[in-house]
Amino acid sequence: MAPRRTHFYLDKSNGKFLGVCAGIADYTGIDVLLVRVGFVLLNFATGFFGGMGIVAYFVTAWLADEKPREFDYADREDKKFWQKVRARPGHSVRDVRARFRDIDRRLADVETHVTSQNSRLAHEIEALR
Amino acid sequence: MHDLVPILVCGFLFIGLPWVILHYVTQWKKNGGLSIEDENLLDDLHDLARRLDERMNTIERIVAADDPTFKRPETERLRDEREDDHVFDQIAERRRERRR
Repeated sequence: MAPRRTHFYLDKSNGKFLGVCAGIADYTGIDVLLVRVGFVLLNFATGFFGGMGIVAYFVTAWLADEKPREFDYADREDKKFWQKVRARPGHSVRDVRARFRDIDRRLADVETHVTSQNSRLAHEIEALR
Repeated sequence: MHDLVPILVCGFLFIGLPWVILHYVTQWKKNGGLSIEDENLLDDLHDLARRLDERMNTIERIVAADDPTFKRPETERLRDEREDDHVFDQIAERRRERRR
């Protein structure tokens, strides 16, 4: 299967043990400490079924792949963007469109500025004659 | 009536519940998922938007350095204040001082 940005991966480089909690944090954008504390509390709270949480942890660690190197984020903004894509893809598509519109508007501003400046220059040359 | 209750409960548990769950799973997959082509496209567009943004920023800096009357967008100026080491801004500053 081809590697995808929207898949769940283990995050061993940031993980404490096998990287499952760090992977969940990386996938959802929830703070990694919160995920770990939540996991431990859930294991205690479920009592008799507490063992199931640990089994689920190992099964996840066994089934899921390590995160591919090409998916390392360039910076925080990149990380936020992909976490948003996983949560709500439609919104992030609209965000990208908004960025392009912003660039278009700024380019139009620069264009207006440059062309009006040149026409002023031409006007002054005309006045010198 | 009492004989009917277990049958109804079994019917709900083994037919109704999976039906409802599978119904919502398919709905969620239809609406929420990106196909792999869409995902690659989004990756490309996101990357392109970033690069264009940076280029636009450079051009605005050059124009602003050339002519201090040019107003740069507020957000970009705020971003520069955090990383105030750009050569074009220094040129613009020097020009402004010379005009005074």
